[in-house]
Amino acid sequence: MSPADPGGTRMVAPAQLKTTSPATTKLLGISVAGAAVSVALGVYASSHTPTHEKPYTLFFSGTIQLKVWLATAALALAIVQLLLAARLYGKLPIPRRAPTWLADAHRLVGITVFLLTLPVAYQCLWALGFQSGSTRVLVHGILGCVFYGVFVMKVLGVRVEGLPGWVLPVAGGLVFAVLVGLFLTSSLWFFTSSSAPRPLF
Amino acid sequence: MFHRVVTAIELLAGLAVIVFVVMLFANEPSTSGAAASPGGQLFQANCASCHGARGEGGIGPKLAGVVTHAFPNETDQIKLVTNGKGPMPAFGGNLSASQVRQVVAYTRTGLGN
Repeated sequence: MSPADPGGTRMVAPAQLKTTSPATTKLLGISVAGAAVSVALGVYASSHTPTHEKPYTLFFSGTIQLKVWLATAALALAIVQLLLAARLYGKLPIPRRAPTWLADAHRLVGITVFLLTLPVAYQCLWALGFQSGSTRVLVHGILGCVFYGVFVMKVLGVRVEGLPGWVLPVAGGLVFAVLVGLFLTSSLWFFTSSSAPRPLF
Repeated sequence: MFHRVVTAIELLAGLAVIVFVVMLFANEPSTSGAAASPGGQLFQANCASCHGARGEGGIGPKLAGVVTHAFPNETDQIKLVTNGKGPMPAFGGNLSASQVRQVVAYTRTGLGN
């Protein structure tokens, strides 16, 4: 209790209370949200009894063919997405004058990538669940859960204002890197492994 | 205009996420009595991901209705499951001899053969 505060009601100065910046709090918030999504998917995949059923194959000969090709399309679009982001950040000089619709095109491609992954994730989670039979399968399962977590971080990073400038490129880079990891542990295995099921489509 | 279209697609994506989550929880399969047997449970845990939940085939060949014709002698089928052949993995390391017999018996009697 100081002479200026005879009742002792003023505990600490505001500057002393403010131990973390708003940006750090926001960053922590979106990280927690992303982690929660990843953990929730992992818990579902572990606790759900795999059905081993084929809910849909569309025009493919089987579910694995459907998953492999949708994942490949998602990765191809993600590369486009990466180039669009590079142009938005001025890291790519082509085209010299960025069109006004570039940011919307980036959003559209991102949504399409996300939508392409949903039927794949549904079949993985619902029909197969979390498996650890081999290193490839284990890594693929973990990356699958992480993918939607970092995706949520990226989307929230766009929506939440006041975040450090590096958050979006890093989150976007993480989404891309995890998607590449998912492709390597599934589609590439399918295309290159002699023990992978056939036919190709 | 393009901006509005993209925003509308974003909303649809949000709807797709809701459908995705609902389907994960609302589409639980029912477990039949046959599948609940020890052999059935072993089949679901080890074989169904390739041969299908009802042995209808998938990554691996169809078993329902054909396995007893392909393997008139049960011992040959037990040998294949235990040792594997080609893309078919060997289950001798994961399953005991008794479990292999149970799962083989299930494929011969519980899948409509």
